Amino acid sequence: MQDFDFIETPENVALERPLAGIGSRFSAGVLDNLLIAGLVAVAALLFFAFASASMAGEFSGFSRAGWWGAAVVIFALFALYWGYFVFFEMVTNGQSPGKKALRVRVVREAGGPITFTDIAIRNLLRAVDGFAFYGVGGICMFFTKKAQRLGDLAAGTVVVSEQVRDYTARTDKRTARTWEQEIGAEALRASGLNPQEFHVLYNYWKRHNELTLDARRKILPQLLHPILQRAGQQPDDRSFEALEAFVEALLSKAVEAEEEASRRARDSGAAT
Amino acid sequence: MKAARFLETRGAAWDRLEALVSKAARKGLAALNEDELHELTRLYPAVAVDVARARMYGMDPQTQQRINRIAILAHGLLYRRPRARPVPAVWRFLSWGYPRLFRRLWPYFVLAVVLSFVAGMGAYVCARIRPATAYVFVPGPIEMPHKGPGVTPEDISERFRQIPRPPMAAGVMANNIKVAFQAFAFGITAGVGTCYVLVFNSMMLGGFAAHFANHGLSYEFWSFVLPHGVLEILAILIAAAAGLRLGASLALPGKLTRLSSLRAGAREAVFLVLGTMPMFAVAGMIEGFVTPSDWAAGLKIGVGLLAAGTVAAYLLLVGHGAARTERAV
Repeated sequence: MQDFDFIETPENVALERPLAGIGSRFSAGVLDNLLIAGLVAVAALLFFAFASASMAGEFSGFSRAGWWGAAVVIFALFALYWGYFVFFEMVTNGQSPGKKALRVRVVREAGGPITFTDIAIRNLLRAVDGFAFYGVGGICMFFTKKAQRLGDLAAGTVVVSEQVRDYTARTDKRTARTWEQEIGAEALRASGLNPQEFHVLYNYWKRHNELTLDARRKILPQLLHPILQRAGQQPDDRSFEALEAFVEALLSKAVEAEEEASRRARDSGAAT
Repeated sequence: MKAARFLETRGAAWDRLEALVSKAARKGLAALNEDELHELTRLYPAVAVDVARARMYGMDPQTQQRINRIAILAHGLLYRRPRARPVPAVWRFLSWGYPRLFRRLWPYFVLAVVLSFVAGMGAYVCARIRPATAYVFVPGPIEMPHKGPGVTPEDISERFRQIPRPPMAAGVMANNIKVAFQAFAFGITAGVGTCYVLVFNSMMLGGFAAHFANHGLSYEFWSFVLPHGVLEILAILIAAAAGLRLGASLALPGKLTRLSSLRAGAREAVFLVLGTMPMFAVAGMIEGFVTPSDWAAGLKIGVGLLAAGTVAAYLLLVGHGAARTERAV
């Protein structure tokens, strides 16, 4: 088993996909099966309701309707057992509810979304993989490079993880230790910010390429709110792009002022 | 300094592509307008190359992961097959593809027939020669109606007559499709599992037949089994042929690697077994409604033979012409 799978794109670039581990797939399977069990319980209750209604029914017409209801329930149970995964993987492009909860998805090994054929093969082979509480499938996943059960091998599918790490939650301790040395008095004066504000914006700018766009859209207006408010503006008045441009302009002005100051200090030092 | 410069110049492209793929995340490409589509196709190759460059420059892992994720999502949007509309696809499959598939895979069907016949006849002959061996093949002791002047096929089906018909038809249908799916899936054991399912069920049928014959009730037995049985047995044999196809692809890969042979085999076999579902639906209807009815035995068998004959004619005669060209998407 490895952690990553690579797909070769037509551009000759290997894109990497993090594979879902046995743990998250097993958990997803447990969730799905709990859901199936719940639905089966509801169907069984309905079945007994129909059956007893038919037994007790004096009128043959009512009795017949009851038995038809029971037939529908039996068929629904069958369809649920064999069709649950096929239906959800088809409708949601490879995510049964359990997989969705664990943020994993079935994809074609060659890249791209799965087709009906893939889904039919991998889910019919559950009959074998599911043997001994997915013991067969689990062992197979353990011994294959891409953590595939028999159904995945035959269908040419892999299950990938789509968990996106939220980098916004972590602070960078290295920069926190040194920021006071990095910001000079001249830069602060030129930007018109207090040290905390400058530090925050400076760090934002240093890391903005690592953050997701959504995270940036969320954070930046919050960071700029006190600064813009002091200038009598609201962050909402400007587009996100304008806000980023504003931060960039502010910081580059500050950094230039700082460089200018240090150059002057060096020049005067050389003169004396 | 290359890396920093790279970040600076390419950041905007990543932002834009990320915005596009997250816009298309839910509804797919339909969520994008024409200009955005052009932008997507223009941006994606460049960002894919950025992934490789970021790896080369040894950029920080977080940035690498971010570009990679954006590129993967865009790749998933751009490289995909046109989605077939389900109703025309099913119709085309049933009216053309399925009979052809069956005819292409006929050797597996013949193999299944031979296996099943040998196992069934073996059990039948054994139990005829030594009646006690019938219980090896038949689950549990069964109560035999005594041969007398008044015994009719209806007596044999008495137990079934007490079960209400609609649930029974549904249950029989579900059970048979389950056996068919298993016969297919167990093919992944290089066909051994499929042979087991097939031989087990054939021996059971042979054992039952011998047991009734020992009591002189052959006619009554067959007139109970045949109406629904002909079509059911035909469909089970086709499902077993699908399992054997899957097994053969693994056992005898030929010039392919075993894995790619398995994949090609699974793709053929899965449709062979899926196509049996309508047959089981019809067989279940017959078993639920015709078999326990008050009709004459000859009429019931006639219905069964008619159904099976129709399916056989369909499998042999339909779809010989060229496929109608698919409309361009």
